[in-house]
Amino acid sequence: MKLVRDVLDKKLTDREKCEMGRVDGLLMRVGERSQPRITHIVIGGSTLWMRVHPALARLSVRLARIWGPRRTEPITIPWSRVESVGKDIRLDVKARDTGALDWELWIARHVIERIPGGGSEEEEE
Amino acid sequence: MKKILQLTLGIVTSVGGFLEIGSVATAAQAGALFGYKLLWAILLGTICLIFLVEMSGRLAAVSKHTIVEATRERFGFPFFSAVMLGMVLVAFLVLVAELGGIGLSLQILTGLGFRWWAVPVSLAVWLLMWKGTFSLIENGASLLGLVTVSFVVAAVKMHPEWGSVAHGLIPTVPGDQKAKYGFVAVSILGASISPYLMYFYSSGAIEDKWDTSYIPMNRIIAGFGMTFGGFLSMAVLIAAALAFQPRGISVEKFEQAALLMTPALTHWGFYLFALAMLFACLGAALEISLSIAYFFAQGLGWSWSEDLTPSRDSRFSFVYTAIILVAAVPLILGVDPMKVTMLSMALTAATLPLAIVPFLILMNDPSYLGGHRNGWISNSVVAIVILISFVLAVISIPLQIIGG
Amino acid sequence: MIEINAELLLGRKVCDVNGEKVGRIEEFVVETSDNACLVDAYLVGASAVIDRLSAWSLVRPIQKVLRGRSVISSYRVPWEEMDLSDPEHPKLKVQRSELRHAN
Repeated sequence: MKLVRDVLDKKLTDREKCEMGRVDGLLMRVGERSQPRITHIVIGGSTLWMRVHPALARLSVRLARIWGPRRTEPITIPWSRVESVGKDIRLDVKARDTGALDWELWIARHVIERIPGGGSEEEEE
Repeated sequence: MKKILQLTLGIVTSVGGFLEIGSVATAAQAGALFGYKLLWAILLGTICLIFLVEMSGRLAAVSKHTIVEATRERFGFPFFSAVMLGMVLVAFLVLVAELGGIGLSLQILTGLGFRWWAVPVSLAVWLLMWKGTFSLIENGASLLGLVTVSFVVAAVKMHPEWGSVAHGLIPTVPGDQKAKYGFVAVSILGASISPYLMYFYSSGAIEDKWDTSYIPMNRIIAGFGMTFGGFLSMAVLIAAALAFQPRGISVEKFEQAALLMTPALTHWGFYLFALAMLFACLGAALEISLSIAYFFAQGLGWSWSEDLTPSRDSRFSFVYTAIILVAAVPLILGVDPMKVTMLSMALTAATLPLAIVPFLILMNDPSYLGGHRNGWISNSVVAIVILISFVLAVISIPLQIIGG
Repeated sequence: MIEINAELLLGRKVCDVNGEKVGRIEEFVVETSDNACLVDAYLVGASAVIDRLSAWSLVRPIQKVLRGRSVISSYRVPWEEMDLSDPEHPKLKVQRSELRHAN
């Protein structure tokens, strides 16, 4: 398997086929004599912007401190939770429990649901 | 049977592409200045779009991924972010122009200045997206967009010399005003080959849940839809050629363009033009707003669908709400929509390679398309579009300065 | 043991043990088994990008026209031959001439 072609930037879905973002980064453990291993999938945070330019990453952290769910750290999912790698990557997790939907829920509660006709998360369930 | 109703996706895409304020303004200007001599530019734009739109639908139907999703996955985020920046900025400018176009149409119909219409128009567009579903927008915009058929009626009623019209389909270089001719030709191509059409169409195919059984229908939809739009655009040019060129009138303002149907349909033509443009620009505004929101959501991995209630895809809904609000601001401040239109067309032409080059690579990727990859004909057409797009990219801004 | 962001290694220039430039890291070949993902090798060089884009069907005809003078290639560097102690400046533990070409 090839990491960049088959894993990086691919869509992630959870146990219930709920979309939970994309593979924005991958954590790799490297040792002097041991074979490097990919330990975690990274979603969100400044990971994505770091790939474009460090200044953008710093800006995204600053903005995340003042608006939104106040989460500056990215979400990390252990590689052991990867169920399958195909066109999309299926994870053996529940999206809400990982924090991957924090921004989605925050904007729903603080912006969308305050506008008439926006609906509500509780209603749907 | 259900598949034939999908023609509406083709129609709404082409209305948003061919009959929005930019295309109509340039077609009218082309007719007024050069008679039928620039019909070839509309024909070329139509042919290119038929192929590009068909490919967009095919990619979505086979891979179940949109162009935006596939671009991020294949090219990685850094490259994708450059494409996103270019495409979103230009699409935003076009959105401002379309909202302005609705405002100008209402100005003609009611007498109240377009600045006053900026907020109600933006609110109306936003409300349609907030409460509507994808099919409502698709079918509604197509149906309303059919009012533009009045352009064809007007053109035919003015009894053009069909021989000369046919001659205009062959590219010629004029004796004088070469820079202006070049500028208008570039504007026509920049106005018709708009990447947001491809992004919208491929997203629409996913919203409408297309699969490989839609491939033959997709060809018909793309072909019919874009030909419909191209025909209507040509009708505008022909009507403008007959209405303005003999009198030496050049189309600089929207109100002037509104006169192009009056020789055929008397004063009703004036109001009918405004009504047709209102619906066409509305369709375009909805399409562009959705395209921009799709770009963010699909590229960054958020939930997205016009069919979900806004709280179920809150980030997607937030993006289109924010951009429509921000797009109203220049209009409230009195920025001339026609000037924004001209700038947006030159910039579309200048950034076209950013959209088309990755697209060519995607359309040859076996992991997305399997046996439905491009054949040599489609690849050749895209290669020609890439060539045109690089030429446009280099000359559009200088021409805008010299000939605009 | 250090933990690094693998995606930030992409595009980083790699030099061999003598400081000679080899190319840029463009891909990681991995092996997945028992819930683990182990890095087998790194692909260094331009053709790995073409591989990633599945774009050979477009590149080969152009190469033919140019009579294949410019050879686009890449190297397959086994994990044990790559030194990532300084992730910003990856280097090989061997000489360039000892590397195998990736097909």
